[in-house]
Amino acid sequence: MSTENAPQSMYRSREGLGVWEHRGKVAAVGIGHGPTSRRWDGKPDTSLGAISLIALRRAIEDAGVDPGDIDGLVMDEKTTTGAFWPRGQELPWDVINAYNTTDAPLDGITQLSAEWILKNMPELTGNRFTMYGPGCMSNAIVVAAQAIGDGLAHTCLVLKAWHNLPGRYYQTGANADDAIPGTAALRSVWGAPACYGTAIQFAEYCRKYGKNHDMMAPFISNSRRNGLRFPEGYWAQHRPEEITTEDYKAARWIAKPANLFDNDIPIMCSAAYLFTTAERARHMKQKPVYILGHASSRGQARSFIPTLDEVEAECAESGRKLLEAAGITVDDVSFENLYDGFPQFHQFHMEGIRYRGIQPGEALDFYQTDISITGPNPVSPSGGNIGSGRSRFWMHTDCIQQIQRRAGERQVTGVEPVIGVSGGPMPTGGNFTCWSASPDY
Amino acid sequence: MILISFDIDGTLEEGDPPGVLTMDFVREVKGQGYLVGSCSDRPISAQRAMWERHGIEVDFTVSKHMLEDVKADFEAEVYYHIGDREDLDKRPAEKAGFEFLWPHEATDRPWSEGT
Repeated sequence: MSTENAPQSMYRSREGLGVWEHRGKVAAVGIGHGPTSRRWDGKPDTSLGAISLIALRRAIEDAGVDPGDIDGLVMDEKTTTGAFWPRGQELPWDVINAYNTTDAPLDGITQLSAEWILKNMPELTGNRFTMYGPGCMSNAIVVAAQAIGDGLAHTCLVLKAWHNLPGRYYQTGANADDAIPGTAALRSVWGAPACYGTAIQFAEYCRKYGKNHDMMAPFISNSRRNGLRFPEGYWAQHRPEEITTEDYKAARWIAKPANLFDNDIPIMCSAAYLFTTAERARHMKQKPVYILGHASSRGQARSFIPTLDEVEAECAESGRKLLEAAGITVDDVSFENLYDGFPQFHQFHMEGIRYRGIQPGEALDFYQTDISITGPNPVSPSGGNIGSGRSRFWMHTDCIQQIQRRAGERQVTGVEPVIGVSGGPMPTGGNFTCWSASPDY
Repeated sequence: MILISFDIDGTLEEGDPPGVLTMDFVREVKGQGYLVGSCSDRPISAQRAMWERHGIEVDFTVSKHMLEDVKADFEAEVYYHIGDREDLDKRPAEKAGFEFLWPHEATDRPWSEGT
């Protein structure tokens, strides 16, 4: 039986849907991360599948749950945006055959199916539900939350993993072919880097509001500082390097006005969470973190790159939808962990939800104030992708850990960690979640 | 005077990925009176920290696109940049008026003879 993508009916992508019908009835309890590395070294025990099994088992152990009691698995089958197995390169059969296989030889190496996971986790004897939340953890989370609320599962693992291969990112797959199919060809033919679209929007933002690129420096420094306090992150584990204002301003342009540090680093990593019903969560090992609501953005741009107007309108709508679903106002939000990969759209997400009351065009001024984890207005306490490498999940782990008060050196101290918001990825296409210390806030 | 600029990742043993050039190699050319430093995509503060960790006093630490600034700031007879990338090391180095060497070429050269 193959696993399907979640149907659109599981997403809350319209305004006016009211408070989420399962508000406070679903909780995150367990967290597990696999080892993080820059690129795969070709060994079976460091493969995408291997680190994901580690992450899943750690989440189960963290929650203190019998694996046989788990009846759901929600994940993303795709594990890269730019590291594809080079055509013609011999398959790593020693690694493939080190695990139970599926019909796809590279399953567990450059892709990851629910079937592969279940074949290699025989302890999941009670699983009866699998589904994909494609794109990133943000998607998988809202699908898992909805699935539990709807009764499709009562104890569900949520998984997102990323692989990275030797060589340069974005140089394989379709980019290595003589011809690129579809509309992607129109951008690829000009060699635009991945951050190009965001850089264009950011440039327009700076023109519209009279801001400049250097004003991003406090955000970047803060993000990396927070990331260095994330023991599971790439930079904390492998290269504990701060990014100072001087470093940031001196970096070379990738797509002006986006420089090197306005981009994240592709890595291998995997994270898993254990979600369950509020009732079951009370009897588990960790403090439950309740989901008050979720919302999704499905914006359609008029052209290849969304305009600033489109981005701002969509982010504002996403913010309204999330607050509506959660039944709260933005004044109730203790901290925000909205997506930062690319950091030049973090302010769109923040302004969209009106975090701390900031309006469009005000975020970069806000960055010049105290946005640290010790202040009253923590911004991206996870450090996000800039702080720990490209995962699209640090923000969610951090929300759960902050509310559980298990964020260690990253623990926010300037606010009570009662309600956090996280989600992404793109301003015009993403999924967002509101987390709470209480089911009936 | 000879100036040598080192890329880090893929070039020096400290790099990510590690390169073939050892820190002892850098110490050796520095000891011969050459001007040495790094030109890398690593944060400048991280470059400085790396050299400090290895007890090597360098003359410059700059971002990848700043070789022209290095040339303007230091007077030398020959300027070398050693790196592992065609697009990010070789081409910019040559454009900035540097001689370019791949890491393995650098180790093969008789630096002690003043080349």
